[in-house]
Amino acid sequence: MLELQPRPSVSSHYDELYDAAGLPRAHYAALSATLSEFALGEILGRVGSINTTLLQRGVTFTVYAESSGTERIFPFDVIPRILTGAEWAHIERGVQQRVRALNAFVYDVYHAERILRDGPISRELVYSSKNYCREMIDVDVQRDVYIHVSGIDLIRDASGEFLVLEDNCRTPSGISYVLENRDVLKRGFADLFRGYAVSPVDDYPSRLLDVLHFAAPRGIMQPNVVVLTPGIYNSAYFEHALLARRMGAELVEGRDLLVVDNVVYLRTTRGLARVDVIYRRIDDDFLDPLYFAPNSGLGVTGLMNAYRAGNVSLANAIGSGVADDKAIYRHVPDMIRFYLGEEPVLSNVPTFDCTNDLERRHVLANLDKLVVKNANASGGYGMLMGPFAGAAERAEFADLIEANPRDFIAQPMIELSSSPTLINGTLASRRVDLRPFALYGRDVDVPPAALTRVALKEGSLVVNSSQGGGCKDTWVLGV
Amino acid sequence: MLSRVAESLYWLGRNVERAETIARVLDVNYTRAMDLYAQRDAERLWRSVMHSVGFLDEPAISSGPGSKAAAEAIAHCALDPDNPCSIVSSVRIARSNGLGMRAELTTEVWQLINVLYLYVEGVTLRGVMREGPSKFLHYVRDSALAFSGVTDATLTHGDGWGFLQVGRFLERAYMTSRFLVALDVEHEPWRESQRLLEMCCADVPFAQASRHVPEPRDALEFIILSADFPRALRFCTRAVDAAMHRLSRTGEGSYTNAAERRLGRLRSLFDFTSIDEVLAGGIAVFSAGVVGEFENLSHEVEDAYFPRHPVAALVT
Repeated sequence: MLELQPRPSVSSHYDELYDAAGLPRAHYAALSATLSEFALGEILGRVGSINTTLLQRGVTFTVYAESSGTERIFPFDVIPRILTGAEWAHIERGVQQRVRALNAFVYDVYHAERILRDGPISRELVYSSKNYCREMIDVDVQRDVYIHVSGIDLIRDASGEFLVLEDNCRTPSGISYVLENRDVLKRGFADLFRGYAVSPVDDYPSRLLDVLHFAAPRGIMQPNVVVLTPGIYNSAYFEHALLARRMGAELVEGRDLLVVDNVVYLRTTRGLARVDVIYRRIDDDFLDPLYFAPNSGLGVTGLMNAYRAGNVSLANAIGSGVADDKAIYRHVPDMIRFYLGEEPVLSNVPTFDCTNDLERRHVLANLDKLVVKNANASGGYGMLMGPFAGAAERAEFADLIEANPRDFIAQPMIELSSSPTLINGTLASRRVDLRPFALYGRDVDVPPAALTRVALKEGSLVVNSSQGGGCKDTWVLGV
Repeated sequence: MLSRVAESLYWLGRNVERAETIARVLDVNYTRAMDLYAQRDAERLWRSVMHSVGFLDEPAISSGPGSKAAAEAIAHCALDPDNPCSIVSSVRIARSNGLGMRAELTTEVWQLINVLYLYVEGVTLRGVMREGPSKFLHYVRDSALAFSGVTDATLTHGDGWGFLQVGRFLERAYMTSRFLVALDVEHEPWRESQRLLEMCCADVPFAQASRHVPEPRDALEFIILSADFPRALRFCTRAVDAAMHRLSRTGEGSYTNAAERRLGRLRSLFDFTSIDEVLAGGIAVFSAGVVGEFENLSHEVEDAYFPRHPVAALVT
């Protein structure tokens, strides 16, 4: 029998499994019943064989810091995280609304700049963003879609309300874990699914392909779509390969592409073949050595000119990163009101702007209570968790903030919700977040394929894979 | 298909084939070296092995009774990561080529290569020798054979498959020709021809085909000139030729590049030469010439499809 740790009598955070009375929530009841029948030895044996399968399939990420690019599996917790149909409908509506507004914002800052003239966002803030790309001013992209693929990170506060923690509008990753985790869980733990009707995730690649076809230059009926990867040493290479294979697209590196007269071609065994759409998993800075990092060998010389000439589409569009600058994040609710005339469905986490003197003073005086983030970093790097940091680390961040206030934002520490997780043979409570993915084609599509990340260390609130995080299968139930 | 992917498939085919061949050769010779007559001659036997699959002209092998020759040969030919032709290196190269074109491979093919890689990376010489090297060598051999089956049954038989076939059969022909060079049929005609058959897993097929007490000459004929045995030079040459012509969409008997031209000449040699003509000038001379032919053929295949210089910007 699996030992279920009892819910603590007083809790400062939202528990996904237990309600306030300490009873399993209705949508977890069947899972709790199934789990209580498991023998511990059996569950551990099955977990072992799932981990072997993931390693043998190469569902791994590369750990940069270790020697010779060590490949590791992303720790997978077999206890699923369950969302009701109603919860998901709310998330779906909120993410659609948010991505529509973010896309309108990107279009606007490279065209009429309405929101900078008449709205609440300052020119300084946008122009000083590292991801703002002057080369994109007045460039028209196909169908005005910039953010074809995004991942919106959500957390749940103590009341259970979903809040947006950050937007990922460049090359968000994680969908391959969603696809593989579901597959191995179905094979290894079919019995967990007893009593549940779970939305399938395996049509994500075809939904993505649909969006990429829609993004093709006008007049091309059968666009040639490729996936551009930095190569086998990139930490998300497995994902690039999986998506390419499932979409039937070529997985290419920069050296496989060639630009002649502003047209992009593939080098094939039968000569050159024209490329219409590039799903690129390379950052803007490395796309074209003529425009961006001149020493990078990852990109394609001349790609930017071909793009500006409208001969090839890129997903996501160059310059989309201006929408996920963490200092601009705070203004997304205003964007929603400005462009859509609606109230935000999903709220933000309160955020302090360090360029504002009053707010910066407040941040510096309360570093021991706040989380400080670098405005342009991701993956849990360049971050200060004030309540857990030592005095020296706080002092170091105080200096950094004083020197470059534009590079930092600060937020109160939010308690993440918790979910039952298999730790050393017991079901312990661990903190989770949620990353739904949005695909922007004819409209914003939010497939029921979201990634739940879990902080495996007790009491930890950091879920990033590089910082000791793992992942769970996420079940979206029918309404 | 992408030129880079085509080249990766070619090298994948070559290196899996090489790993299989080395595993088989080491296994055959290890068990032979345990026999009475061979113990005296272990040094010479392992020299021959090191020459044919270890790619060493002057192999450093311990001599004398109770020598460590076998372990040294296995260390060099199977487990030495600094020897680019060892089993470990071949599997690594195969896997890194597979990784770079992972989107082109089926899950079954990729997983087979990856599992073999994880296994080979996990062994040590001591572990391999403790219970005898056969367990390790059989695992490698069987995985490589399973690779043939899985690629055949799950990959589309298009251009990519063609490059895999070219690599596989070119490597096989090359390795078989190297066995011939290292053979000592002058002094030990019976044992050496039997050893050759075993290294080509041809002992039973040969016995079935010949149906009489075999002469060394017959064994050489089988390994060089059989049109039906899948490791014979003639069979392999035909397989490479057929795959190359499917890739270039031209008929056999014509050529569009230097590789196809050489293949035509080699086919003609194996198709229309008798074993007596082969042996007339001595097997050593013949086989040394054939090794050179296959080396040149490799370069010509690579020049035809994976040129090192930048592709001229010709838009078709």
